[in-house]
Amino acid sequence: MTSDDLTRLTITDASRLLRLGSISSADLVTAHVERIERLDKHVNAFLRFTPELWEKQAEEADRRIRQGDAPALAGIPLAIKDVLCVRGVETTAGSQILRGFKPPYTGTAVARLFEAGAVMLGVTNCDEFAMGSSTENSGYFPTRNPWDLERVPGGSSGGSAAAVASGEAIIALGTDTGGSIRQPAALCGVVGMKPTYGRVSRYGLIAFASSLDQIGPFARSVDDVAIVLSLMSGLDPLDATSSDRPGMEVLNNFGAGVKGMRLGVPREYYDVKGIEPGVKAAIDAALFILRQAGAEIVDVSLPHTDYGLAAYYIIAPAECSSNLARFDGVRYGLSEVDAPNITEEYQRTRRKGFGTEVRRRVMLGTYALSSGYYDAYYLKAQKVRPLIKRDFDQAFQKCDAIVSATSPTVAFPIGAKTQDPLSMYLCDVLTLGGNLAGLPGISVPCGTSDGLPVGLQVLGPQWGENVVLRVARAYEQASEMKAEVAAPSPLRGEG
Amino acid sequence: MLARIGLEPGDEEFYADQLSGILSHIDRLQQLDTEDIPPTAQVVEVASRLRDDEPRPCLSQEDALANAPASVNGFFRVPAIQEEA
Repeated sequence: MTSDDLTRLTITDASRLLRLGSISSADLVTAHVERIERLDKHVNAFLRFTPELWEKQAEEADRRIRQGDAPALAGIPLAIKDVLCVRGVETTAGSQILRGFKPPYTGTAVARLFEAGAVMLGVTNCDEFAMGSSTENSGYFPTRNPWDLERVPGGSSGGSAAAVASGEAIIALGTDTGGSIRQPAALCGVVGMKPTYGRVSRYGLIAFASSLDQIGPFARSVDDVAIVLSLMSGLDPLDATSSDRPGMEVLNNFGAGVKGMRLGVPREYYDVKGIEPGVKAAIDAALFILRQAGAEIVDVSLPHTDYGLAAYYIIAPAECSSNLARFDGVRYGLSEVDAPNITEEYQRTRRKGFGTEVRRRVMLGTYALSSGYYDAYYLKAQKVRPLIKRDFDQAFQKCDAIVSATSPTVAFPIGAKTQDPLSMYLCDVLTLGGNLAGLPGISVPCGTSDGLPVGLQVLGPQWGENVVLRVARAYEQASEMKAEVAAPSPLRGEG
Repeated sequence: MLARIGLEPGDEEFYADQLSGILSHIDRLQQLDTEDIPPTAQVVEVASRLRDDEPRPCLSQEDALANAPASVNGFFRVPAIQEEA
């Protein structure tokens, strides 16, 4: 087995080889580090690396494997989005304002994966404070799509998606506030899942919009995503919104196939404005495969879809403007500490530290919450939110899960949407409803259009992760559409 | 001003144009009749939980100040917030 073969494995395959003693965790890490050294100068998925951690964690994993008490993820290389705190590891939310910040604690989701034996390779790039759909809003550099380096990987968790797609990590963590896991998973041809709001503790996640944010996994198979999700789910006393439902319930019956299931296709999603013909063709093919596998495809409607984006772009910026008030240059990160007075210190710090999109959203959110406009914007959006939720509730009376494209388009060229924020926001039109309604959703690879990956989104009712995973797994099996490891174009042949 | 993001003169027009575009999209919300709908901040029902009111370890002063741009005698240092009387 060559070093590159080791970077194509799933958790299931790697764990078997590790337990058989055919490879060690150290071998697995070395293979990934070598691949990163070769590819990441082109892909730019990682912001920084954690060699002290990977050495220590791989050694520990190898020890546990030798002793015969290896936990579920022993030795599995993991990449972590730059919004999840890891004690002592610089964590910046893709922003200059947090440059140099080393968290004094590790967030719960990450800590649970460490306990399960995962080996952290490094911190992945993202849009600043997870605001964006292309990773071009990173305060450091853009990440490139491993399928075509002139295109974006999607976002905001673009670094995590690109790392898994290029074989630089077996699994990665991202966060999803309006589609930030599912959309980059679709654009990079990997599997990515956003859980029900409350399934995974947000403790240690640098907040963007607290009523919408969820942490979730990326991997190259549905099984791997299910394993990782089950391990990081469950009650955490440190997050008052975390649910006491057992994490393992996400696996209930998820291998049962789709025979006899009813899958709803919302007409507003199927014919969404701006959907590319190639994307639609791939979704049609996926629906055909699901029907052949025994599912019944039913027509459903989400009549308030058109209002979802508008409500989202009030609620998310409003929450962000409040959450980001803490970045004042006093307690951490960048500081213009020599300002003549404290107001000037705040202004200079935030002027220097925040990028264009973050400033735009802070302004939008502050405006929507300000006394003269609160009723017209924030209050109105909060009244529209239950209408979006009710649309889904009514749809789930007629079907077990909802299927659609994850993104109306395939990966777009770098720079194509940076001048027009609204066009960038429209990238999330099929995903943000799931956040507003608190639903679990997954994106699985479903073929290509013009050589670029298309993602199939499956949404389920709240706490229906097992249903979502069941549909995704059945599709993956029936289509034989495994996520492939992409070799960046200048490196084809050596990738 | 409320946002304290330190706008400079050239910025205003740049953002004003973009924000107007976004707000005009958002204005479609006004078409919906939401008279009888309660404002909703949380769509997942999670019961509020209280933890036992017992002292427990927290961040040490050293850890809490480790990332501070400026500190003095165990406090965060900031410019004076009141003028001298």
